[in-house]
Amino acid sequence: MAITHEFEYLRPATLGKALKALAKYGRKAKVLAGGTDLVGLLNDEILQPDAVIDIKAIEELRALEFKNGKLQIGALTTFSELLESDEVRRKFPVIAEMAGWVASLGIRNRATMAGNICSAVPCCDSGPILLLYDALIHAKSRDEKRKIPIAQWFAGPRKTVLKNKEIVTGLSMPEWDIPHAACFVKLRRYEGEDLAQASVAVLVDKANNYRIAYGSVGPKPFRGAAVEALLTGKPLNEALLKKAVELARLEIQPITDIRSTKEYRSHMTGVMLERGLRAAVSRLAGKGPAYGASLI
Amino acid sequence: MTDFKTVGKPVSRIDGLDKVSGAAQYVDDLDFGPGLLHAAIVESPFAHALIKKIDISQALKVPGVVKVVTGEDFPYTFGLYMKDRFIFARDRVRFVGEQVAAVVARDARTAQKAARLVKVDYEELPPVLDLAEALKEKATLVHPDLKNYGRCPWFFPRPDTNIAHWRKTRKGDIEAGFKDAEVILEDTYTVPRYAHCAIEPHVIVGLYDMAGRLTLWSSSQSPYTQRHVFAEALAPLGLTHKDIRVVTPYVGGGFGGKAGVSMEIIGAALAIAVRGRPVKVRCTRAQEFYNTYQRQGVIARIKLGVKKDGTITALEHTMHWDAGGYVEYGANVVNAAGLSATGPYRVPNLKIDSVCVYTNLPPGGPYRGFGYSEFHFGLESHITRIAKMIGMDPVEFRRKNAIREGDTLAYGAKMNPNGLHEAIDRVAQEIEWGRKETSSDPEKAIGKGFALFWKAPAMPPNASSAAFIKFNEDASLHLMVSGMEIGQGYLTVMAQIASEILTVPMEKIRVETPDTDRNAYEWQTVGSHITWSCGNAVKAAAMDVRDKLFEVVHRAHGVDKKMLYLEEETVKCRGRSDFAIPLKDFVINGIQTPHGNFLGGPILGSGMFMPEFTSALSDPETSQGGHPNVHYTVGAAAATVEIDRRTGKMKILKAVLAVDAGKAINPDLVKGQITGGLLQGIATVLYEDIRYDLKGRLLNPNFTDYKIPTAKDVPVEIVPIVVEVPQPDGPFGARGVGEHTMIPAAPIIANALEDALGLRLKTLPLTAEKIALELNQISYDDVKGHYMGLCFLGKPNEYDFKMRAK
Repeated sequence: MAITHEFEYLRPATLGKALKALAKYGRKAKVLAGGTDLVGLLNDEILQPDAVIDIKAIEELRALEFKNGKLQIGALTTFSELLESDEVRRKFPVIAEMAGWVASLGIRNRATMAGNICSAVPCCDSGPILLLYDALIHAKSRDEKRKIPIAQWFAGPRKTVLKNKEIVTGLSMPEWDIPHAACFVKLRRYEGEDLAQASVAVLVDKANNYRIAYGSVGPKPFRGAAVEALLTGKPLNEALLKKAVELARLEIQPITDIRSTKEYRSHMTGVMLERGLRAAVSRLAGKGPAYGASLI
Repeated sequence: MTDFKTVGKPVSRIDGLDKVSGAAQYVDDLDFGPGLLHAAIVESPFAHALIKKIDISQALKVPGVVKVVTGEDFPYTFGLYMKDRFIFARDRVRFVGEQVAAVVARDARTAQKAARLVKVDYEELPPVLDLAEALKEKATLVHPDLKNYGRCPWFFPRPDTNIAHWRKTRKGDIEAGFKDAEVILEDTYTVPRYAHCAIEPHVIVGLYDMAGRLTLWSSSQSPYTQRHVFAEALAPLGLTHKDIRVVTPYVGGGFGGKAGVSMEIIGAALAIAVRGRPVKVRCTRAQEFYNTYQRQGVIARIKLGVKKDGTITALEHTMHWDAGGYVEYGANVVNAAGLSATGPYRVPNLKIDSVCVYTNLPPGGPYRGFGYSEFHFGLESHITRIAKMIGMDPVEFRRKNAIREGDTLAYGAKMNPNGLHEAIDRVAQEIEWGRKETSSDPEKAIGKGFALFWKAPAMPPNASSAAFIKFNEDASLHLMVSGMEIGQGYLTVMAQIASEILTVPMEKIRVETPDTDRNAYEWQTVGSHITWSCGNAVKAAAMDVRDKLFEVVHRAHGVDKKMLYLEEETVKCRGRSDFAIPLKDFVINGIQTPHGNFLGGPILGSGMFMPEFTSALSDPETSQGGHPNVHYTVGAAAATVEIDRRTGKMKILKAVLAVDAGKAINPDLVKGQITGGLLQGIATVLYEDIRYDLKGRLLNPNFTDYKIPTAKDVPVEIVPIVVEVPQPDGPFGARGVGEHTMIPAAPIIANALEDALGLRLKTLPLTAEKIALELNQISYDDVKGHYMGLCFLGKPNEYDFKMRAK
């Protein structure tokens, strides 16, 4: 089926020109990076913008680099680039682990992490990982430039705090300064590409700091504050694990939809948290499953 | 045993180079020039409603729109076995997505935009979405005019009900059989609808030229049957068979979904509406799901009686099928199941009721397995359960009851030669039946499941095949048949048969894709009957050609025809080692005599096959008296699975399937069918999960939420086993295997699940979700709130099979 809705297609060569166009069209414009979500929405006529601003020609948005203790991810950085980056694999292996579970190869070659969080679906794979690392989202309009903490970014299903005239130029996150390990566990209906029925991201460091984040079990990805409070400062043991699983099931708000019942989401969030924590702890000890191995 | 040169050899596919090089053309690749028009379909938003008024005036005003067509323009019915459909819905719509009108425009976007401007006033009616509702007294009728529909003579509709067909099969004395039984097990099994998901969506281009010829380029499994259905439907316009031509290039998968005529009727009608210009109708992926065919859902009650020594004494098998808004093809699926729902067993006392029920869901129709996958799930689950109840090994139980050649079938005819017992033994050995395996992971359990399967082609008694062969100057040849290459390797197998008889090497044979103006007749490429039926026709054509070659040589050289034989593309003569006439020397230009003139000329051959022994005439109350099926192909299968107790996720460690191919003309292609069929079957067990809302809208007509297998979902190991007990009337003893490889997938997995964890699930699919929640004893709502997966809203074990419809 062809896209029947008519719109202006703009492909500015600079960020300045893109922001100018965005200032002109405001909420009537949609920004296109990978397009893997946007084009589907245009096709299904869920979105009917006056203009589509394609930012792929803006070279400065392409950067993926580690500088001053921070990972900088450009708005045009694709999941394939994250997966294949030596720097990412060395310093943030859990990002590569997550990227490997995103869709299929063809989609990963186009889809961007920035686009993933701009779509802001509750099942987005990037959300939980960025929450682990307190990532900042860099947004720019003609008038201002701001950095939005990921914890404040999501406003609900398909909703963010990004303003109409802003473009996400990239993301950044500091390296975890204590030796640590992490794990991303994604529940899928089969072995092929799938949206998460539920996901759990876990981080643990040598000082027994814990970070937990969930996807697809609430209106937006969110941190597991109660489980973190329970675990922080303590070495993991069986009794703690059991309590963590119980607490996790209390702090999520899963719903029943076409992909899963809320009962399975709840049950599996517990299983994934348990297996994720075990994997992260053993990774920290230099053992455990390699990043990218399936735990469920 | 004859030593064959080509038959039985794993020769390479002859369509391989076409496909890997991109040379193969599919309908959407064909170039019709800038004059090609495009169609968009106006669809019903309601599952059941009366059409009060259609206003096309706004759509006609859109620049670029050529024509808007509604049911008023084509007030004709069509259908393969039952004429229960109009080309466009008239008066009444019966499922969400049904075609009400179509817009033809100069480009697809314009057509789509204008289609949105066609204003249809509906009066909503209560939709029939629940089988129990459909069968109750005074149910809302989906087809109030049922009694007036033309139909084939072996359908038995019940007028003024939603029962489109009721196949009853009775044998022996059912009450006495259950009285004899020492153990009786009765239970209910349910199987939801499924979608075919061929990678190439349906597409058709039609051109009705100024001279009155209608040509259709169609992505189809059934070019001749399409032509016939078009000719029947369009007869009021004066079109006859000779005026209609169906061309079918390569097809990107069918699985039954491209059999018969579904959306293609729209292409034929629109071509007539815009005479002189070609028009294309192409399904979107969503339309592919809801407006072609779907596999029908079924709820089945099985009551099985056995003696403690394992002898089956009686079987009562009742199936209620959700056949959708139209059953012109689907009722025959119901019929096929009703004749064969014993499975491949000796059952002395039998009562089968297979009931085809109209609902306001998309039309059901043919899908690989044709009803057999559906009933094997329940039956083969049941067999394993009852064996365990009497303390007998489930494989031993099957050995004891498995059908043998000469046994009386459900409808009274005799079972054909078959290698079922060999298949059981070889599968049991390969899967190491009886050896319990344990997982190295304490969270996981390993189990094994076993099942038998059988299937007969479901075809009219006079379904036939034909073939033409024509030589070229260099003695290469063209084989012109009208079966479809739908991935199974049909073209290659036909070439092998011709090659074997004529000694012409494979690389010198081209098998043409169908064109009803040129290629010989074929009923349809369905029912796994094409190797057998068309293979016989090709063999007959090759023998006809051979006779003609010998005749020319005889006339030119005076040798006795009986002494002639073919070897390496040469006519040779027994007893005369010096006699050798290469085919290339005479197959076009003849043989020169000493007088300088030539004898012979271009060599052409033809052949045909029709199973003259079949009959669909039988007693409607018992199905006794006829011979509706030509033969059954049988086999056995097993799986070893590893299941994670906590996640419910299952890994197929090993799948084994033995099928009796009679003679594997090409063993590699048979093994390909086993791999593909098992994978397709396993998908329907583990994750394909169709969902409707309570208004009858399909919620997942896409691959985001309807999952089909990827390379990552292939079992760890698949062992294909080919059994060869020849089919006496098959070419070189061959019979079909294509559908069969999918049929046992559900029961082998369900039985393995129970073996591993003691959990018996009776409703497909067996998703990880369902398994985990059951194992962990978490109560849940399987209909997922408003996301209905089955065609009844209650719990399966509370479904009442008593029919209250008058």
